[in-house]
Amino acid sequence: MVDGHGGFRPHWRPLLAALGQLGREVLTERAQQLDRAFAEEGMTSLLPGPVSAPAAWRCDPIPLILDPAEFDSLAEGLAQRAALLERVLRDVYGPQHLLAEGALPPALVYANPAFLRACRHPAGHAGPLLQSYAADLLRGPDGRWRVLADRTAAPSGIAHALENRRAMARHIPEFARVTELRRLLPFFDIWQDALQRLAPAENPGVALLTPGHASPLWFEHVVLARELSCALVEGGDLTVRDGALYLKTLRGLQRVDVLLRRQDGRTIDPLEAEQNTLQGVAGLLDAARTGTVRIANDPGTGFAEAPALAAFLPALARRLLGEELRLPGAHTLWLGDPSARDQIGHGFDRWLVRSAVDGTVRSIRAGALSPADRHSLAQRILAAPGEYAVSEALDGSFTPCLSPEGLVPRPVMLRLFLVFDGQRWHALPGGLARTLAAPDPASGRRPRTALAKDVWVPAQDGLDILGPRSLSIAALPIRRGSGDLPSRVADNFFWLGRYLERLESAARLLRAGAARLARPSPTPREAVELKSLCACLARAELLDAETAQAGLAGIGTGALSRALLRAMREGGPVAGLLGQVSRLTELLRDRLTGEMHLALQRGLRQLRDALRGIAPARDAARELEQLDQTCALVLGFAATVAGLAAENMVRGGGRLFLDLGRRVERAQNVVAELARALDQPGAATQPARLEPGLRLALELRDSVITYRSRYLTVMQPAPVLDLVLADEGNPRGLAFQLRAARDTLADLAGEAESSLVTLAEQLLEETRDMVREVAASPAQAEAAIRLLPRLKAMEGAVAALSDRVSRRYFALLPAPQSLGHGSSTGRLRGAA
Amino acid sequence: MRYRVRHSTAYAYRHTVDLAAHLLHLTPRTLPFQRVEAARITAAPAASRRREGVDHFGNPCTWLFLDEPHAAFEVTAEAVVEVRFPAPPPAAATPDWAVVAEAARQGGPGAWEAAEFLFESPMLPGLPAATDWAAPCFPAGRPVLDGLLALNARFRQEFAFRAGATSLETPVAEVLARREGVCQDFTHLMICALRGLGLPARYVSGYIRTRPPPGQKRRLGADQSHAWVGCWLGPLHGWVDLDPTNDLVAQEEHVVLGWGRDFCDVSPLRGVVLGGGAHSLTIGVDLEPVEQPAPAGLPAEAK
Repeated sequence: MVDGHGGFRPHWRPLLAALGQLGREVLTERAQQLDRAFAEEGMTSLLPGPVSAPAAWRCDPIPLILDPAEFDSLAEGLAQRAALLERVLRDVYGPQHLLAEGALPPALVYANPAFLRACRHPAGHAGPLLQSYAADLLRGPDGRWRVLADRTAAPSGIAHALENRRAMARHIPEFARVTELRRLLPFFDIWQDALQRLAPAENPGVALLTPGHASPLWFEHVVLARELSCALVEGGDLTVRDGALYLKTLRGLQRVDVLLRRQDGRTIDPLEAEQNTLQGVAGLLDAARTGTVRIANDPGTGFAEAPALAAFLPALARRLLGEELRLPGAHTLWLGDPSARDQIGHGFDRWLVRSAVDGTVRSIRAGALSPADRHSLAQRILAAPGEYAVSEALDGSFTPCLSPEGLVPRPVMLRLFLVFDGQRWHALPGGLARTLAAPDPASGRRPRTALAKDVWVPAQDGLDILGPRSLSIAALPIRRGSGDLPSRVADNFFWLGRYLERLESAARLLRAGAARLARPSPTPREAVELKSLCACLARAELLDAETAQAGLAGIGTGALSRALLRAMREGGPVAGLLGQVSRLTELLRDRLTGEMHLALQRGLRQLRDALRGIAPARDAARELEQLDQTCALVLGFAATVAGLAAENMVRGGGRLFLDLGRRVERAQNVVAELARALDQPGAATQPARLEPGLRLALELRDSVITYRSRYLTVMQPAPVLDLVLADEGNPRGLAFQLRAARDTLADLAGEAESSLVTLAEQLLEETRDMVREVAASPAQAEAAIRLLPRLKAMEGAVAALSDRVSRRYFALLPAPQSLGHGSSTGRLRGAA
Repeated sequence: MRYRVRHSTAYAYRHTVDLAAHLLHLTPRTLPFQRVEAARITAAPAASRRREGVDHFGNPCTWLFLDEPHAAFEVTAEAVVEVRFPAPPPAAATPDWAVVAEAARQGGPGAWEAAEFLFESPMLPGLPAATDWAAPCFPAGRPVLDGLLALNARFRQEFAFRAGATSLETPVAEVLARREGVCQDFTHLMICALRGLGLPARYVSGYIRTRPPPGQKRRLGADQSHAWVGCWLGPLHGWVDLDPTNDLVAQEEHVVLGWGRDFCDVSPLRGVVLGGGAHSLTIGVDLEPVEQPAPAGLPAEAK
């Protein structure tokens, strides 16, 4: 921010004024807001695992400001560099003239782990290999930026850049008034347009291939897919048929014409991968070779990330482009060249030692090593000099960062992003800056945690006014169905629905148990209810068999209440259900609205904290109180999620499966719990013994008040069964679930394909029939008890319905295996 | 010599395979010293999609995709090949091995293609023990082919050929330690040792004749795919093929399918199947001399 004469660079002045107006306290508060925002909805929650790591990427409230003229010259230099790398890639993956003529040493190509022989086309490639490109830059002591690393495989960090900008605009709106900035979004329009252009088809299918939610870059892929309007897919969602790539959806196979590759090129096709892998899609490279699918960037482009390549770029620019490099790289030498070794001699302290060919390996700052480590490094280099490159160690540019001591200067590294539209390269007018911590060697794989900065390029009056771009994309046909949903996503929604319902049901059972244990000794009626509850709790796996047996025998209420508390505590079954909901929420992150995701995240965090906070108390009443409160929290969470789903999710697609899962799970629970409530010993001869069971059945269905308003306090089997089983208006009753499931299945399949719909209708009819029979019987209690086998059968029938839904829609494919490679038996034995 | 080769591979799966993709390196490569008169590959069930191509190393390859459910899969490759490897140069006339190593390191005209076979490859990491073992064959100043022939001979002297003693996953280090293995192990070990010395070495996949020439012992590695080592003698003399399993210089008894850095590049048949469960595999190879020209019944395909 300071020029060579100690004065502020002019483009920083408006920001400095705004900082002065805000004051340090407000600024610190805003920084905390930013941190919280990132933790809740941004970078932090991208990390794999059910619980997000707290120390992930943060964003410093002070941006890095690039002078527009400086940015333009960087953009121009990087465009030239990208074009040069494209030429190098086309040669290396094509005729290999550079190798034949000695312009590139064989070690840089053939020892490069990212040189993919399966991507070689000796005759040359038709389309461009690089579509997106990023470069890491550091300022040298002369104030000029230099390129330290090229990112050509699947350059990451662009979602960070976008999110930094959004979060800054939201949380420090004062800055937005400081300077007009060049906008980031037009860059994504260009990119989207470029992807569409790659395909020969009109309205091409574009998909982003991600390694999945366990990837540390999952968040980036979600954001990119959203910004570029393409489907987010994993290898398992795709299949190659007859030489073309397809996405497996509910409606069948849908053609994919363009694949935005964010998975390692080495693992995208197990048929031709060098490592024995089962990731990716068998036949994908064959499809790409015939041109039915275009992959951007080409799988082999990681080749150009080799750090030692930088040593050859100035000469290659002259040879291939007839130009000098406009933007210098950090001075780099390849140590396989004896003259380079002479240049550094023994004093390699001022150098950054890097792998010659693998850009993801961390570099080592030789000067920072202990004498012993330095010696051993020197020995390793001497043994295999061709495996190393060195670059001049640059300190980076110092820019102010907020710290508890106020603004302090820290060195930053800048990553800029470019995209090729088929004609020329365009740079994102912004980027991702990150501050370098002291031991950070500044190159290699991007770290998991860091302090980032928004990158500003001020707009110049009249120059940067961009109207809406006119895209050459054909008008999209209107689609309302859910057919485009990948089967895997539908499966995840279905199970999210089931687990949410299971969680809610668990809370109801536990709460019912807590209420009956609250008094020192339960009334006889409560004791009967407790036995039925124990059976229900055991079925829901909230009680172990032994405790349930004891409970059924009516002994040990103290043991029972401790067991219920255990079920709710950290590490217990309820926590397990929360874990499943949390896992599915992450898997579906790209399919949930921001609000819905945030609500789920927040709710889950609160519940986890609550579960963790449950402590065994000396006083049993205190324990039951805790249990009751936590149950109320869980039920509140379930209600919030259900409400959000009803109000926020578009009817169709994921919503249908979420709903279906919930209905199927609840239907099973209704039947199973009713069967256990009616299973009262001696009730056949003494109808009054059935009464506690009927009461419990109403309570678990949250239907006590409805019953009272209809029938006052008289408890009779037929009215209770009608409300629990047959009344389609009771959202907690069985008929409601079956009717809703039937309607959803009809929605999904269309009325034509109706075997599942028919099944649901049959179950509905059976439900009505059961209630009719009891109502018509002169001895209702006996008739109700006779229903038990039919209820058991119904429980099985609902489970069967769920299985058939899975088979019909989620098409579980068998596991792939590889033959003739690695672990297989296709071995050459050479029998003697 | 003119040969007829027949190589059949049959998979029987316990469960149905829903979808299968196979990549074959089963067509003999056309070379200045190897004329492929006819070659064809048949598959049962027939592939729903079939593609022919050439890989990075110039080897012919075939892709077969099956999208109908099947419980068994059989591939038969047949070819008629006339082969006569050039006689190797007099060993004493070949350059100093260190000179060959330096030429490969520098790359550029005449050497850049050989240089590819200097580096570690998927199945062959650097193994200093292998290089140490081979080093006595390469004293300073020794002509390269002299050293190579000496090394090639040591396998018959120091190693036991034992089928079943090793598997595809047995690391080269273990083969060296146990002093036993099969053709693929010896080939991999020799390649490892040579690369450690800076000499380019490649994995050649192919066949050796089933019945030996009259009056000679039956060759090891017949009835199966065979493998041996391509060794580089420098820009002037190019490559020579040495068979460490049989202590032979390839001349008239070998037929070349193709070559790569190690087995992984030229696996005769690799695939990915969905489903299938456990499977059994039957392989049969026949390489018989034929004197008369190829019968008309075998169309020249996939050359």
